[in-house]
Amino acid sequence: MRPIERAFRGAKNDLRLHALGVFSVAVAFVCLGATLLAAVNVDQVRDRWASFGRASVFLARGASSDQIQAIERALRASDGVTQVRHVSAEDARRDAAQGGKDAVIDALPAEAFPESLEVSVRKDVDPARLGQLAAQLRSLPAVEGVETYAGWSERIETLISGGVAAASLLSLIVLAAVVSVVSSTIRLSLQRRKLEVEVMKLVGATEGYVRQPFVIEGAAQGALGASLAIALLGVLYALVKSHLDARLTALFGLTPAFLPWPIVLVTVALGAALGATAAFLSLRRFVTT
Amino acid sequence: MDAGGDRRAFRPALRAGARFDPLAAGRPVLVFESVHKAYRADAPVLRGLNLEIQRGEFVFITGNSGAGKSTLLRLLFAEESVDSGRILFLGREIGRLTPGSIPYLRRNIGIVFQDFRLVENWSVLDNVALPLEVLGLPTRTIRQRVGAALERVGLSGRGSESAGHLSGGEQQRVAVARAIVSEPALLLADEPTGNLDPQLALDMLGLLEDINETGVTVLFATHDRTLLDVRPRRVVVLDEGRAFDAPNGLDDPELAAADLSPPRRGAAA
Repeated sequence: MRPIERAFRGAKNDLRLHALGVFSVAVAFVCLGATLLAAVNVDQVRDRWASFGRASVFLARGASSDQIQAIERALRASDGVTQVRHVSAEDARRDAAQGGKDAVIDALPAEAFPESLEVSVRKDVDPARLGQLAAQLRSLPAVEGVETYAGWSERIETLISGGVAAASLLSLIVLAAVVSVVSSTIRLSLQRRKLEVEVMKLVGATEGYVRQPFVIEGAAQGALGASLAIALLGVLYALVKSHLDARLTALFGLTPAFLPWPIVLVTVALGAALGATAAFLSLRRFVTT
Repeated sequence: MDAGGDRRAFRPALRAGARFDPLAAGRPVLVFESVHKAYRADAPVLRGLNLEIQRGEFVFITGNSGAGKSTLLRLLFAEESVDSGRILFLGREIGRLTPGSIPYLRRNIGIVFQDFRLVENWSVLDNVALPLEVLGLPTRTIRQRVGAALERVGLSGRGSESAGHLSGGEQQRVAVARAIVSEPALLLADEPTGNLDPQLALDMLGLLEDINETGVTVLFATHDRTLLDVRPRRVVVLDEGRAFDAPNGLDDPELAAADLSPPRRGAAA
């Protein structure tokens, strides 16, 4: 009988115990998976905003049309700039009021809104080059300010760093939880199958032979727990997505994404590796000749 | 898996069956030299035990409860280690084996216990096949040899039954089949009839005698005097940590004079 068959037979005899173990591992992995899911989506927002490809040049009050045209010409001649659109104060008010739908904004005077030049740049333009261009524009007397949206990108970057730190911390907690759960399950299973182990040793089984099915059971528990966690997250994601899809799209300009396949596979592999290691370590004291 | 050519493997010079080594044939299978064993310093179990067992012998080990019969067997399959002295099995000193070699020693010894030690939720076939699976033999060979072993113990065709559903006598037969399936050089039976009624106990004795006829050395530990009287056999009586040899059974006048005879069945604790 192959080790995998022995492991299957052992797990079948202790089905309830193993199911409990798998569920406990899944709970631990749901926390990690949720953090990873959040990190993946924030990263997606960061990518989207980092390559937003536009800048707003807010014009000073009293800027003459000659000055504005000169800035427009200079911008069009700049490398990486694809389009320059002049937005008057009246146009800005109309945009903000969404064509008169927002009565409060629509009631504001046009002077309350800054006149601007909306600049589109190629997405491959280096953010440093865009920053340099913004600095040059800010030095012009007709320009009151320039928004390149780099600040948002930086803020999201900070958020992602926080997310990665949280995920790392959670990974450690998950690691401890999985090791603890799998060790306990394997030890309980070992206690129940004490006679089986004793008989194996009596007929000349090496420690490796005795350990193999338990290590496979541990690995399977870890992998199944991680898979169950991802499946649970998938269901939750589908529920949340169907309710919040439109709002999230409006807010962030993109649809939320589930964990990519490589992360799913790595998570399952992590579960298997943790389970196998935990089983191996927990057997060390018990399976000696 | 690890059945193959491990350099640490215990390689006996002599095995029952096909791998007969004429040079080793002249050597005793087992030699105990001044073996001491104590679990408590003030109550030694074995005190300088000396004993030789030749190839193909059938030897009863007897003595009162606590005389050290089970300890002696446990020392043989390295579940315990000697405090001093040495035990040679097929010329190799058991006490000097590394932990990694012990499984290979055990592959040369078949063991039968009073409590059968079968995995009850496994089938008969799975229980008997275990020693061969440990050796890493192919499935077809395992099935053939398990079939032959079950036939020898009179359980032919019962392989698919759950071990836990068999009667006590049948379970002990399964345990014997498991002990002999890998054709060991030595068969240890630790009170194998302790849980059986008198008739089944005699049947079990007959079965072990049949196995002994094929060349397997059998050490039968029992405190049941009835079994010792069935046929004149070599009896080793353990008393106060020492072995008293009665080559022709308990009717040996020297042994009778020493009043070392164990109690008859049912009288011992």
